[in-house]
Amino acid sequence: MSYVDAGYCVVLGSLFAYAVSLVARERAARRRLPPAPDEAEQSAS
Amino acid sequence: MSTVSLPPRTKPAVGREPAGGRLGGRRSPSGRADVAVRALGVLALTGIVATCWLGLFVTPEAVNFGNLVRLLYIHPPMAWVAFLAYGFALATSLLYLWPRTRDPRLDRLAGASAEVGVVFTGLTLVTGSIWGRTTWGVWWTWDPLLTTTALLFVLYVGYLALRRVPGDRETVAKRAAIAAVIAFVDVPIVYFSVSWWRSLHQAPTVDLAGRHLYVHGLMAWTLLLGFASFSLAWAWLMVHRYRLATLRDREADEGLEVAIAERRAEGLP
Repeated sequence: MSYVDAGYCVVLGSLFAYAVSLVARERAARRRLPPAPDEAEQSAS
Repeated sequence: MSTVSLPPRTKPAVGREPAGGRLGGRRSPSGRADVAVRALGVLALTGIVATCWLGLFVTPEAVNFGNLVRLLYIHPPMAWVAFLAYGFALATSLLYLWPRTRDPRLDRLAGASAEVGVVFTGLTLVTGSIWGRTTWGVWWTWDPLLTTTALLFVLYVGYLALRRVPGDRETVAKRAAIAAVIAFVDVPIVYFSVSWWRSLHQAPTVDLAGRHLYVHGLMAWTLLLGFASFSLAWAWLMVHRYRLATLRDREADEGLEVAIAERRAEGLP
């Protein structure tokens, strides 16, 4: 693997890992909470 | 031990349609926002894939740097997005500090943007270090640009640590906003360090002051696509980080409400 490939791997890998962690943490936080008022309204309709 | 009646917890909305769903055949405001965020994510991802494809396989090698020039399509965009993130954190922090526009959402936006900025600053340092190893022969040197960028990283890690120091929400937000303003002082120093001091690092590829781009043709377009794509990625990441901060604040508020209800129930005969 060249230095160039290593650079691209580090950038893309880190951004992907950070994005996945954000989405996973957001979903976990939503699961722990009751739905927000507009979401509850939608569930009821 | 007393019992407390809490509101029933319904099944969470995530993963189901509500967040991006329809209300009576029309999308709700939160649903429309969710669609926009998804579109932003798709656009950012497409742009990044295109940048990598053009940068790795289509653009030519440079006369002086050979194959190494391909790092150019990711390293300056990382630095640019870090500046963008810190600039946004500065703007929202200043708005927060001004009493007429004080709003907890601005504080959350500043925190979210700064955290994403720290990720991009870290990536700037790593890609810059790879560039340094191959062009200067060292992974790190105490060059003005590298040193001030490392300082920038440490300053904003400190800012994020400060946000975690316990206190009432307004006090925490106010001191974080002041810290964001102080930390931003290093951003112009980083950008102009190559002009102000003798530096190993070459002049910026995109000279904002002189309005000049030091690459041309397909190389320039690939670089500009990199700037645009990673900026969109910053926006997408920031929206998700902001949502997470909002949910955590809600969680903390509800936890407080439950604790108050429990204490009240304990006091009843």
